[in-house]
Amino acid sequence: MALVDYLPIAIMFALALVFAVVSLLLSRLIAPHDPTPEKLEPYECGIVPLQDPVQRFPVRFYLVAMLFVIFDIEIVFLFAWAVQFEALGWPGTIAVGVFTLLLVETLVYAWRRGALDWNIPHRERYRRVVAPEIEEAA
Amino acid sequence: MIVNQFLVLGALLFSIGVYGVLVRRNAVLVLLSIELMLAAVNINLVAFGAFVDDAAAAGQVFALFVITVAAAEVGIGLAIVVLIFRNRSSANVDELDLMKW
Amino acid sequence: MSNIDFLALGPEIAVTAAAVLLLMIEVARKPSARVWGWIAGIGIAAALGLSIAGWVLGRGTDANLYFSDMLALDGFSAFGGIVVFTLTGIGLIAGWGLVTSLRRRGAEFVALVLIAAAGMHLMAASANLIMLFIALEVASISFYVLAGITRNRAADEAALKYFLLGAFASAVFLYGIALVFAATGTLSMAGQESFLGETILLRPGVLLAGIALLIVGLGFKVSAAPFHVWAPDVYQGAPSGVTGFLAAGAKVGGFAALARVLTVPLDAYLDDWAPAVAVVAVASVVVGTLLAIAQDDIKRMLAYSSVAHAGFILLALTAGDAGVEAVWFYVSTYALQVVGAFAVVAAVSGPDTGASPLDSYAGLGKRSPMMAAGLGLMMIAMGGIPMTTGFVGKLGVFRAAIDAGYLWAVVTALVATVAGLFFYLRVIVRMYMDAPGGDAPALEVGRGPAWAVGITSAATIVLGIAPWPLLNMLRDALPF
Repeated sequence: MALVDYLPIAIMFALALVFAVVSLLLSRLIAPHDPTPEKLEPYECGIVPLQDPVQRFPVRFYLVAMLFVIFDIEIVFLFAWAVQFEALGWPGTIAVGVFTLLLVETLVYAWRRGALDWNIPHRERYRRVVAPEIEEAA
Repeated sequence: MIVNQFLVLGALLFSIGVYGVLVRRNAVLVLLSIELMLAAVNINLVAFGAFVDDAAAAGQVFALFVITVAAAEVGIGLAIVVLIFRNRSSANVDELDLMKW
Repeated sequence: MSNIDFLALGPEIAVTAAAVLLLMIEVARKPSARVWGWIAGIGIAAALGLSIAGWVLGRGTDANLYFSDMLALDGFSAFGGIVVFTLTGIGLIAGWGLVTSLRRRGAEFVALVLIAAAGMHLMAASANLIMLFIALEVASISFYVLAGITRNRAADEAALKYFLLGAFASAVFLYGIALVFAATGTLSMAGQESFLGETILLRPGVLLAGIALLIVGLGFKVSAAPFHVWAPDVYQGAPSGVTGFLAAGAKVGGFAALARVLTVPLDAYLDDWAPAVAVVAVASVVVGTLLAIAQDDIKRMLAYSSVAHAGFILLALTAGDAGVEAVWFYVSTYALQVVGAFAVVAAVSGPDTGASPLDSYAGLGKRSPMMAAGLGLMMIAMGGIPMTTGFVGKLGVFRAAIDAGYLWAVVTALVATVAGLFFYLRVIVRMYMDAPGGDAPALEVGRGPAWAVGITSAATIVLGIAPWPLLNMLRDALPF
C-alpha cells in the first residue's frame, strides 16, 4: 500500500479538525456571553447537581467488574476456534466444550462463594435483626 | 510492507511502560505501565505476523492469548492491591518496607 | 496434521480435573480437609503415574509433537513431570498445617497448588513459545496468590512485590519472544531450530536482542542476579508452609524452560548466548553468597542461597546440550533440599507466619532432634559437602562448565562455595552449640513436616552416596 492511498484519510482528518476549530471559534465570537452561576454548573440532564460527581466507588464494584472482565475476555478463544472450526473438527469442538465447562465451573464457584451477592450488609442485617423480630412478633 | 515503523512504535511504547514501572509510586499505575508493555508486544506480534506471512496466523493468535493472560494478571494484581489497601490504607509501593535487605 | 491427542496432556488433565472436582465438591458439600487431601493426592498420583508412563514410552527417542507442535512428549518433559509432581506432593504434605489453618479457603489453596503444578509441567513440555508463555503465566499467577494466601501484612507485601516484578519479567520475556518471532518467522521451537540451523542471518541484531530478553525474563523467574531482588522479600513474607513449594517450583519450571529454549531453538547461537549466561551465573553465585552471609532470618538466608544456587545451575547451561543432564540433576535434588529445609522452617515458626529469625533455631538440637538433623543435613547438602546430593550436583555443573571452557567462572564459583559453607554451618552451630533462649519447650512437630523432612532427607543421602541410577536416567532426559 503506497503512502498516497492514505490521502483521503488525511484530507478527512484535516476537514474534521478545521470544522471543529471553526465552529468553536465562531460560537465564541458570535454568541452572547452572559454567565450566571446556574449556567456555569455542569449540565446533568437539566437537574440541579446534588453532589460532586467524583466519588469513591464501593470496593464491591471491583469484584463484579473483575469477574466481568475475565469472563468477557476468555470468550475471545471461541473466536479463534470459530475461524478454524472445520479444520479442527471434533477434537476441537470437544476442547472448546471443555473450555466452556471450565468457565461455567468458575462462575458456579464464584456464585456459591458469594462473590455475586451485592447486598451483603443488608442480608446480614436481615439475618441478625429483622428475622428474629419477625419471629418474636409471630 | 514496512515493518520498521511498527518495530519503532512497539519499542517506544515498551520503553514508556518500563519508565512507568520504574518511576510510578502507586501500585495501580505500575500495573497500568505493565499493561502498556504487554500492549507494545501485541503490536509487535501482529505486525511481525503480517510481515512474515505465516499461514497459521501465529502472531495474531498469540496476541489473543496475551490479551487474555493480561486480563487474568490484572485481575490478580488488582486483588492484591485491594488487599494491600485494606491492610494499610495506602497503595503506595514505597511504603512496602516491612522487609529490607 | 495437527495431531490432537488428549492422552499427551494426561498429567495436566489429571491435576486440573482434581482441582476442578475439589472446588465443586467444596461449594456443594463443604467437606473436611481430609477430603481435599484425598482428591489432591489422587490427582497428583495419577499425574505422576502418567509422567512415569510417558518416561517409559518416550525416553531417549525423538520428541513426539502434539497439538500442531505445541506440546513435546520426550524424556525431558516426562522427567520434568516426575520431578514437578513429586515436589507438589511433598510440598502439600509439608504445608498441610497451612491448609487447615486457612479454614474454608484451604480448598482454594490446594486447587492453586494443583494448577501451579500443571503450569510447571507444561513449562517443561512446551514445544512452542506461545505454549511456554502461557505455562509460565499459569504457574506464576498461581504463585502470586499462594504467596499472599494468609492475607496478613507480611504476606500481602510479598505477594505485591512478587506480582509486580514477576509481571514485569513476563512482559520482558514476551518482548523477547516477539523479537525471536520476528527474526525466525515462526513460534514453534522445532521450526526455529531448523530455520536457524539452515539459515545464516546477515543481521542477527533482532535475534540477539530477543535472546537477551528471553534470558532476562527467565532469569527473573529463577532469581538469578541481578534479577533476584524479589526473592528475599517473597521468601520471607510468604507463609512458611508454602515457601518451599514456591521456591522449588519456580526453580524447576524456570530451569526446564530455560534449558529447552536455549538448547533447542537457539542451539546454533550457543557461542553468542553462552558468555552472557556465564556472566549472569557468576554474578548470581557471588551476590547470593555475599548477601546470604549478612542475613539473620533463615528464610532470607535461604533466599540468597537460592540466588547462588541459580548461578551454579546456570553454569552448567553454558555447555549447551551437554550441560542439560547436570542441570536436571542439580535442580531436581536442590528442589528436594529446599522443600525439606522449608518444612523444618514451617515446623519451627508455624506454617502460616512469614518471618523466621535465626535466633529461634538456637538449641533446636535439644528441642527437636529430628527437625534439627533434617535441617542440618539440608544445610550440608546445600553447602556441597560429599556424601550428599549437593556435592554430586556441584561436581556435575563444574565439569560441564570446564568442558565448555569457562574455567574462570568455575574457579569463582569454587571460591564462593567455600565461602558459602560459613553461613550453612552457622545454622548448624546455632542448632547444636547454643542453648535454647528462655523457656523453649520441646517442639511439637506435626506429621506433615515430619514426613516431608524424612522423605527429602532420605533422598538427599541415598542419591548423594549412590547417584548413578539417577545419572543414568538423565542420559535419556535431553530435550529433542
